[in-house]
Amino acid sequence: MAVVGCPFEMSPMYEGERIRKDDLYVELAGPKSKGFEIVRSAEMNEIEDGKVTLIGPDLKDMKEGSNHPYAMIYRIAGEQVEPDIESIVERRNHDFQNYIQGYMHLNQRYDIWVRISKEMVNKGLDSLKQIAEATMMMFKNELAFIEKIEATFITDMAEVEKELEEARKVYDVRDTRTRDLHDEDVDTFYGCTLCQSFAPTNVCVVTPDRVSLCGAINWFDGRAAAKVDPEGPQFAIPKGEVIDELGGEYSGVNDVAVKLSGGAFDRIRIHSFFEYPHTSCGCFEVVGFYMPEVDGIGWADRDFKGTAPNGLPFSTMAGQTGGGKQVVGFLGVGINYFRSPKFIQADGGWKKVVWMPKALKDKVVESIPEDIRDAVATEEDATDINTLKSFLQEKKHPIVDTWGAEEAEEEAEAVEAAQGEVPAMGGMPTLAPMQMPAMSLSGGAGGGLKIILSNAKITVDKIIVKKK
Amino acid sequence: MKTIAITGKGGTGKTAVAALLIKYLTEGKNTVLAIDADPDTNLPAALGDTIENTVGGMRESMLEGRDELPPDTNKKSLLEGKINSVLVEKPRYDLLVMGRPEGPGCYCYANDLLRGIMDQIANNYEIVVIDTAAGLEHISRRIIRDVTDLLVVTDGSRRGLETAERIRDLIAELDLNIENLYVVLNKVTDTNRERLQEYATDLNLKLVGMIPFDDNIAHFDLEGLPLTGLPEDSLSVIEVAKIAKNIGL
Repeated sequence: MAVVGCPFEMSPMYEGERIRKDDLYVELAGPKSKGFEIVRSAEMNEIEDGKVTLIGPDLKDMKEGSNHPYAMIYRIAGEQVEPDIESIVERRNHDFQNYIQGYMHLNQRYDIWVRISKEMVNKGLDSLKQIAEATMMMFKNELAFIEKIEATFITDMAEVEKELEEARKVYDVRDTRTRDLHDEDVDTFYGCTLCQSFAPTNVCVVTPDRVSLCGAINWFDGRAAAKVDPEGPQFAIPKGEVIDELGGEYSGVNDVAVKLSGGAFDRIRIHSFFEYPHTSCGCFEVVGFYMPEVDGIGWADRDFKGTAPNGLPFSTMAGQTGGGKQVVGFLGVGINYFRSPKFIQADGGWKKVVWMPKALKDKVVESIPEDIRDAVATEEDATDINTLKSFLQEKKHPIVDTWGAEEAEEEAEAVEAAQGEVPAMGGMPTLAPMQMPAMSLSGGAGGGLKIILSNAKITVDKIIVKKK
Repeated sequence: MKTIAITGKGGTGKTAVAALLIKYLTEGKNTVLAIDADPDTNLPAALGDTIENTVGGMRESMLEGRDELPPDTNKKSLLEGKINSVLVEKPRYDLLVMGRPEGPGCYCYANDLLRGIMDQIANNYEIVVIDTAAGLEHISRRIIRDVTDLLVVTDGSRRGLETAERIRDLIAELDLNIENLYVVLNKVTDTNRERLQEYATDLNLKLVGMIPFDDNIAHFDLEGLPLTGLPEDSLSVIEVAKIAKNIGL
C-alpha cells in the first residue's frame, strides 16, 4: 500500500527486511545508543488526533552512517482504551513499523533497534514524522478501538534519558500487574505439543500459574505464539467449566487431554501431584518424587548430579517419569512453577515439600513460605531416608505432625488395596513407577492399576500373579 | 536465494573452500550470508573476522535469563534482536557463527524460535554459504533449511573419503532437503590425482572440482593470515572460481 505524502510502501512483505550496514543511512537506538517505545492510554480530551511532535534532530539533519537515540511515545484514547491494553498495543509498533519499506525495527521496550535505508532516504524520506504518521495510520486501521492517537518522537539524548526513566516506572508497574495474573483471571490457557515427537501423549498445559515443564514457555508466550499461528505447536485451550478449583481441573483442559493423548488420559489436574497429575514430557527441568517413609515430596533438578534421599539420581527418575505419561508418585515441572502461588496446592503446596537440592532451593527460596523455609532439607542436611526423617523432626517440619495419624490409616488401607505393597525406595533404581506408594495414599480412590496397550504385540510364555 | 553448504572431515580444507567461495562470490555482485555452523569455529579467522558472540551463546543467554524477564516479553523478538547483534557486518557479506552446541536442557522452544528467525534473516541474501561439520547438526535439526548444493570436501586420505561416504548416507537417512550433492577433491597432487578421481567415482558422488595442493594456503595458514587475502593467481583461488561456475553461481 502506498502512503500519502510518503515515499515508501507499507506491506507485510517487508516484514523481516534486514537493512545491512552497507545499505544503512542511520541507525536509531540499538546497541550503540539508547531508546525505547511506549504506548500510554489517555482521556479523549487530552489528545489531538494525528498530531506528531518531534524533539531533537530530524532525519534530514542526520549524517549518513550516524547513530542517534530514539524514543517513540504514543498516546491513545477511546471508549474502550484502558491501561491494561497498553502493552498489547505497544507490541504492535514492531509489526507495523516492519511493514515500512526501508525501515527495520527490532526488539521491544528499551531494547528497540531501528535502521533506515539509504535507498529510502534517496527516494525522498526526510522526516521521522512521516514514519510516525504511517505507523499511527496502521494503529487506527488495525485496532478499531483506538479513536485518537498522538505521537511524540525524541532523538535528543538528554530528553530520551529523562523520558526513559519515566517509561521504566510504567514498565515496572505493568510487570507487577502481569506477575499478578492468575488462572482465575483468564478464560484461555495454552497448550504446547513441541514435545510430542518423543512424548507422543504429552499434553503441556500452560496457565498463568503454571509454566511449561521445560520452563521455556509461559502463558504470555503461549498467547503470543497462538495469535501468530493458531495451528502451530502452541495453541489456545478454552478453560471451559471449573471442575475442581483447588486441583485445577477444567473441562476444556480435559477435552484437550483426551484429544491429544490419543485417549490415554481424560483428566488432568494442573495443580495436583497425586490425583490426575499433569503428564510429564521428558525434558522437564525438575522432577518431584514422593517418599512414603516421610509422606513428603522431594524435588531434584537436572543440574543435581547426586542421588536424592530415595536413592535415585535425577536421570533415573526422569527416565521413569518421562514419555508423556501420568505417573503417580512422580511429576515433572518447570523451575518457575515453584514460584507459583498455586504450586501443588491440591496436595498442600509447600507443606508437602521435604527435600530439594541446595542450588534449586537457593534459586526459589523467596517463594518458600517463611515458616517452613528452614525445614526443607537439602543434600547438605539429608542424603537418605533416615537422616531426612531426623532432620524433619528436628526442624519441626509440619509434615511430622501428620505421621502418627497417617500410619494408622495406612495400615487399614494396606489390607484393602491389593497392590498396596509399598516397596522400599532406597537403592532400587529399576522400580516401575506405577507401583509407587501413592496408590495406598489416594484414600480408596485407586483400586488397581490401569494399563493401556496400543498397537502392542506381546508374546508371553508364562505369567504368575500372586497375592501376598 | 541459494544455500550452499560445505562439509567434510576436519582437516580436509572445507573451511578454506568456504572462505574462498565467499571471496569469489563477494567480488561479484552478490550479497552473501556466511554461516559458520562448525562448533570448531574456524571460518571467522579464514575470513579475517573477529566475533564477539555466537547464535548458541545468545540462545543460551535467553534461556538462562528467561525467569527474570518481564513475563510478557516477546521472546521471539528478543532472540531476533540478540541474533542480529552477533551478526558480523562486512562489505558484501555478513557472518553468523552458530557456536556452542546445546547443553543438557530442553531446546525445543528456543530452536523453534530460532528456526523462524534464521529463515527470516537468510531471506535477505542472494546466497547463503554454510561451513558445517560432518555431522550436519544444524541442518539435521532444520535450524538451517533447504540446502541447494552440498559440497563434500575431501583430501587424499582414506578417512576423508570414508567421511564423504558417511555424509552421503547420512543425508539419505535424515531425509534432508538437499537438491544437489557434490564432492570436491582438495590438496590434489600429480601423484594422487587419478586415484582420487577413481574413489570419487566409486562414491557415486558427482565430482565438481579438484583443488590442487596450494603452497600459498599452507603459507597463509602457518602465518595465520586470512585466506581472503590470497593472490588471485593462487591455484586454489582459480579452482574455487571454477567450482562456483560449475554449480551455476
